[in-house]
Amino acid sequence: MRALSTAATGMAAQQLNVEVISNNIANMNTIGYKRQRAEFQDLLYQDQEQVGSQSDASGTIVPTGLQIGSGVKAGSIYRITQQGSMTQTSNPLDLAIQGIGYLQVQMPSGETAYTRAGNLSVNNSGQLVTDQGYTVLPAITIPAGATNVVISQSGLVQATLPGQTTPQTLGQFELASFVNEAGLEGLGDNLWQVSGASGPAVVGLPAANGMGTLLQGYTEASNVDAVSEVTSLIAAQRAYEMNSKVVTTADQMLSTTVQEKS
Amino acid sequence: MDNTLYVSLSRQMTLRKELDVVANNIANADTAGFKVESLMVANDPVTPPAAPGAAPIQFSFDNGLARDFSQGALRQTGGTLDLGLRGDGFFQVQTANGTRYTRDGRFALDAQGQIVTAAGDPVLSDGGAPLSIDPTKGPPLFGPDGTVTQGKQIAGKIGVVRFASQSALQKDGGGYFENVSNLGSQPAQDTKVEQGMVESSNVNPIAQITRLIEVSRAYEQIANIMDGNSSLYNEAVQRLGKVN
Repeated sequence: MRALSTAATGMAAQQLNVEVISNNIANMNTIGYKRQRAEFQDLLYQDQEQVGSQSDASGTIVPTGLQIGSGVKAGSIYRITQQGSMTQTSNPLDLAIQGIGYLQVQMPSGETAYTRAGNLSVNNSGQLVTDQGYTVLPAITIPAGATNVVISQSGLVQATLPGQTTPQTLGQFELASFVNEAGLEGLGDNLWQVSGASGPAVVGLPAANGMGTLLQGYTEASNVDAVSEVTSLIAAQRAYEMNSKVVTTADQMLSTTVQEKS
Repeated sequence: MDNTLYVSLSRQMTLRKELDVVANNIANADTAGFKVESLMVANDPVTPPAAPGAAPIQFSFDNGLARDFSQGALRQTGGTLDLGLRGDGFFQVQTANGTRYTRDGRFALDAQGQIVTAAGDPVLSDGGAPLSIDPTKGPPLFGPDGTVTQGKQIAGKIGVVRFASQSALQKDGGGYFENVSNLGSQPAQDTKVEQGMVESSNVNPIAQITRLIEVSRAYEQIANIMDGNSSLYNEAVQRLGKVN
């Protein structure tokens, strides 16, 4: 009975859907998180009567054919890279990216990872690091005793050093963009790395050549919309129930067959 | 007398097939661009009566699958490359097996900047070529006729086509339809492309669950008829076997 396995594919798909939705809800307050969406596609069809085949010798053509589908599969989990809203933090080392672009992060393995979470800190040698302690590239060091750290929209970092009155330039941030940013591979900890689907990183200065601008004292909130996630959750649960109803019905029909008197 | 059994069996077989179709509809209730299907059942007019003057026997058989191409609800997603179609058009997709048509507009970019489907197949422009955009030129905007603009530049126009008869289309899995007739497609001028929207499946869950109950009850009913027929047999054998 095909209906049993068809309904099973439906239940598996809805289970995946609930997993993706719950991950979105769990990351509602994660800085720079982008919501994800499970995308479903119908499975292959079995032709029992081909569309366009002839039903008699005089060439009458079957108008619709008979194709029976075998359920649903998860096509992909797509990351929606819509801009999250800005949350004011007043912390001078919090950076939000408005528009496209990722901050580059030096991983301990030597590879470069990318992040939208700009809640930076200073490590013991004065370098700007992420909250895991990884250096942000290009490395910018804030000397001890520097005050009034200002980061401009184009990523220029300036600070007033002890004993000086004019601000000194300490460095400039760069952003990386990708042809297909939804294709980046997630590493966890808000970090992403280049994959075959994302295309290579294109590095450039903020606020130039289509790159986004930096906003000091803000962080980018996740773009998860709680209301739409909860409604999706309800829809997924109901869809799961409907598929389980199909299993029950198929089971009842089988049991009717088994109980028929011979 | 056997006819009762065989006619009942023919109905049970179509009901099972119908259950498969309903199960597939319900499994795909959440698949973007999916079109609901229903089994068409007819009586078989070609079986002649068993004897002259006897009532004709009409078996039940499935003579096709009706696909309802009506518009699914457009759901807002906010995705830049989510395109919903309002009207009877289809997007064209270039696959390894030739051109396919789809209503599922959840597109993405590949590493070369081409607009592709979730399966990675390039979406075709109105000229029939893959369509590329440059993400550094700003977010692409899709007009209702499918024209893609970035900033002030036109990057291309996404192709939307329609068919005079949609029964020429056969499902190919993955949300794709294949044109199996020799009818060509025409540009769909009346179909509007809506950005940031995805067309939900047009499966009506209530109708499908109702259909499910109907199928299950009809199946039981037929089983009862078969049981009744079998008791009739038993009784006949017992009575005819008695000598006095």
